[in-house]
Amino acid sequence: MYIIGKGITRKDSLEKVTGHAKYTADFETNDMLHARLVISPFGHALIKQLDLTEAQNIPGVRAIVTGDDLPLTGEEMRDRPPIAVNRVRFNGEVVAIVVADNPYLAMRGVEAIKVQYEQLPVVNSPSEALKPDAPLLHPHLDQYEKIQGVYPEPGTNIATRTKIRKGDRNKGWTESEVQVEEKFAFRISDHAAMETRCSLAQIHPNGMIEITSSSQAPFMIKKLIGQYFGIKPGSIKANTPFVGGAYGGKASIQLEILAYLATRAVGGRLVKIMNTREEDMLTSPVHIGLEAQVKLGCTKDGMLKVAEILYLWDGGAYSDKSIDLSRAGAVDCTGPYRIDHIWCDSLCMYTNHPYAAPFRGFSHSEVHFAFERTMDVLAKKLKIDPLELRYKNAILPGHTTPTQFRLNSSTVGNLPKCIEKLKELMNWQEGQVVKHGRDKVRAKGVACAWKTSTIDPDASSGVILTFNPDGSINLISGVIEIGTATKTILAQILAEKLKMDINDIYVQMDVDTVNTPEHWKTVASRGTLMAGRAVLAAADDVISQLKNLASFILRAPIGDLEVGYGKVYLKGEPNKQIPIKDIAYGYKFPNGNSIGGQIMGRGHYMMPGITNLDKETGAGKPGPEWTVGAQGVEIELDTKEYRYKILKAVTVVDIGKVINEKTATGQVKGAMSMGLSFAARETFYFDSHGTILNPQLRTYRPIRFGEHPKYEVAFVETPHIEAPYGLRGAGEHGLIGMPAALGNSLSAALSAEINYLPLIPELLWKIKGGG
Amino acid sequence: MLSADIEYYRPETIQEAVDLFQILKGENKRPIYYSGGTEILTLGRLELAAAGAFIDIKAIKECLSFGFNQSYLIAGAALSLTSIEEKNLFPLLSATSMGIADHTARNKITLGGNLCGKIFYREAVLPFLLCDSWVVAAGGNGVKPIPIGQIFNQTFQLEEGQFIVQLLTERNYIHLPFVSIKRRQQWETGYPLITVASIKADNGLRFAFSGLCPFPFRSKEMEAELNNIGLPVPERVKRALAQIPGPVLHDVEGSSEYRLFVLENTLNEIILELEGE
Repeated sequence: MYIIGKGITRKDSLEKVTGHAKYTADFETNDMLHARLVISPFGHALIKQLDLTEAQNIPGVRAIVTGDDLPLTGEEMRDRPPIAVNRVRFNGEVVAIVVADNPYLAMRGVEAIKVQYEQLPVVNSPSEALKPDAPLLHPHLDQYEKIQGVYPEPGTNIATRTKIRKGDRNKGWTESEVQVEEKFAFRISDHAAMETRCSLAQIHPNGMIEITSSSQAPFMIKKLIGQYFGIKPGSIKANTPFVGGAYGGKASIQLEILAYLATRAVGGRLVKIMNTREEDMLTSPVHIGLEAQVKLGCTKDGMLKVAEILYLWDGGAYSDKSIDLSRAGAVDCTGPYRIDHIWCDSLCMYTNHPYAAPFRGFSHSEVHFAFERTMDVLAKKLKIDPLELRYKNAILPGHTTPTQFRLNSSTVGNLPKCIEKLKELMNWQEGQVVKHGRDKVRAKGVACAWKTSTIDPDASSGVILTFNPDGSINLISGVIEIGTATKTILAQILAEKLKMDINDIYVQMDVDTVNTPEHWKTVASRGTLMAGRAVLAAADDVISQLKNLASFILRAPIGDLEVGYGKVYLKGEPNKQIPIKDIAYGYKFPNGNSIGGQIMGRGHYMMPGITNLDKETGAGKPGPEWTVGAQGVEIELDTKEYRYKILKAVTVVDIGKVINEKTATGQVKGAMSMGLSFAARETFYFDSHGTILNPQLRTYRPIRFGEHPKYEVAFVETPHIEAPYGLRGAGEHGLIGMPAALGNSLSAALSAEINYLPLIPELLWKIKGGG
Repeated sequence: MLSADIEYYRPETIQEAVDLFQILKGENKRPIYYSGGTEILTLGRLELAAAGAFIDIKAIKECLSFGFNQSYLIAGAALSLTSIEEKNLFPLLSATSMGIADHTARNKITLGGNLCGKIFYREAVLPFLLCDSWVVAAGGNGVKPIPIGQIFNQTFQLEEGQFIVQLLTERNYIHLPFVSIKRRQQWETGYPLITVASIKADNGLRFAFSGLCPFPFRSKEMEAELNNIGLPVPERVKRALAQIPGPVLHDVEGSSEYRLFVLENTLNEIILELEGE
């Protein structure tokens, strides 16, 4: 390989480390207006009165937007008024937008708006939502517009139900000699990206709506705002500069809608709306919560036979992305094992909580916490080593997934190999629990993980390549640089293909939906596959154009030519060549005559064969391939006080092919850190009014540098044939098994079943009988 | 970001500050003394603190002094917590201070600001409570030192217009054996579940607490039980728990039951360490 695999420095690194990189909120003009939000302090209430008078009289307050006469919104089912009308359904829901000359006046306007609420009974968890006498959040559930594959159950709080029916569960139970059943729960939490969301919007005199936003999905901004408000897609332009951390939370279209409503209310003037940290946590969508029941059956020697599962997702007050999240949780409802009989119901529940956005791993760390914890409970009951149990049942080519898709050696990675490597790195033969002084034990916990990317069957990605006069290339892709280095990876893929210096590839970092070809959304660890394939197609296009022109100049058949190292040359006679720079803008004869013209490459990619899931059985091909991994955590626990340190966290992941060793390792380590933070400390606390008690970083505290363990990452490479150089997705997988591995290590250390998150010492103390 | 129109003053002398307060109050401008600003600004943006004028005391030289005279360590109210830690003239104060917020915030948070904060942990007061320090307060009635035991009861009982200039701590307290332990909900960041500071004085161990009740305190009653050397340590601790001078906090950081569990362990640990010396 020429450059594939090497740890190339990120193309965006200098701008970022010097503080020069510009994010959405960095854009300021003298004439822009600023918007601030009035939000609900309660989880569920009627708006009895909304008095705007005082606010309207503040000089400099230009407009106040309320929820009257707005269309319903929502990505799969339109159940959400962009601004609440008559009723608020979660703490943080928008009640009004104030647009003013500056942020101070907007805030003063917000403070001057008087809202009278009458509180309603609150649905504070998905299991409460399921009770027959639970207050109904959406009495008109039957009337909402929705896309194919959404199955709401009117008269209940079920926004959709996804069913997995594989094999015959009765047969599975008959074949099972040992069974276990466990329950799990954790509340919603947050993404806590460094950059809080920000959107700018204006309507130009020609009617063009321009929205700049910290988003993972500028093309969805264009599409959804167009659909919601009946605007032609060509009249909407969305821009996205650098994004300061997204983690799925910026894949939802939310603040952009408010920015559009704000500019519309002030005659199209440029309006900026930037979330405060509190609004970013409450008002904008959050990380989904889950309650789960997992029943497993197996033979005496530990061969899994059946899984019966109920997932109740805390989708929050509106269904937006949580419908898709609950579906993705069903698609990979088990861990990566061969199980012939699976029965799973995955219910997206309405509650009076902030609604959910995707979260790195897209339901997989959540589902795996429940499933992989149950695997350890089963191993304990069987008296089998937990890694051995996983090894025995590991999913292999030839097996089928819960959605009955039959895997082959390309569509699934090599799990047994990952487990073997993990065993080594964890020094597993040392024993799972080792006493360490008087009140201390060291304990190890493991989990396996898999994930496919459930993305729209027709999602596509496009790339354009243009040349500079020196033969260097501009790479233009709709992938958003959210911090994953994907745009550097794309440059590496192109450099490999054209055998050129990566410094001669200029990557456009900003995305603008008018001049950048579409990349569906920068989500699901699919940037490298989809945009990578588009890069290769665009490179092929460039190569063919270069050869065409060179064939005539070099007087050789196209088939004898090769492109690389900045030139087109004859395969058999490499010194017979012409530099690319001499033909990229056409070829000029000595007398001035010229032919050809600027060469532009174009390429696109759409994943083949993705299907919708069958309504009754869930059968289908939901994604292109399954990345697998094995993960472990080692902790040191004080058995007297239940405080613990995480000493080590290990991930072995079959990444198909390592394209950039440094950034791949960085992605996996970052994902592990996020998984441990989610598992060990991140959650929202609610009071009985559905009000969140800790919507600030003072009291909502993600893991901090210095608290982290030693991270170890190892890769296995089993190529995914259709992906560039065989790569597989890697942005999320380091996160998926972490909560379960941490839970398993603590459960082993304490000889107790720890089935709740976050795994704080107080929880351990309670489970061990304290309090 | 604060939405109100706020006037800002930065007097250079104590007298100027005190006078300004009276003038601004007369003009109905709701003045408050301002030091690091971390709390005024962060609570202000949540509309939890309101003021019409800030009187910044950071240009008053007495508020910035940090050093020994013949008998006392003088610590100015406008010193940032990190500057206190870096000079480390008072190891117990450094140790307690280092548990507050994070390093970046402590570059701004000042001693006086933490002592008089609305956020009720106010952990920087613990060393001064243990050392029977003197509080130099300035106000309409001049500048005077007051024993901390007289002026601090859950919060500083300052008169309107009065502010803390300095704290004076007798030299012989400064190098007594001490322990300062902060236990959090999880790991090394966040508010205390409980913070316990203790020193070994001639007449026994002294203890001060934050995070246990909605105010920091030193309890002579608890100290009496904890110093009852006729009894085994765990029994002394159990008896001390019965003397906690207020409701034990029960909030997002932890339940009251769990706090008591942690407190019990921590007190046992501290006594073993300090009595063992």
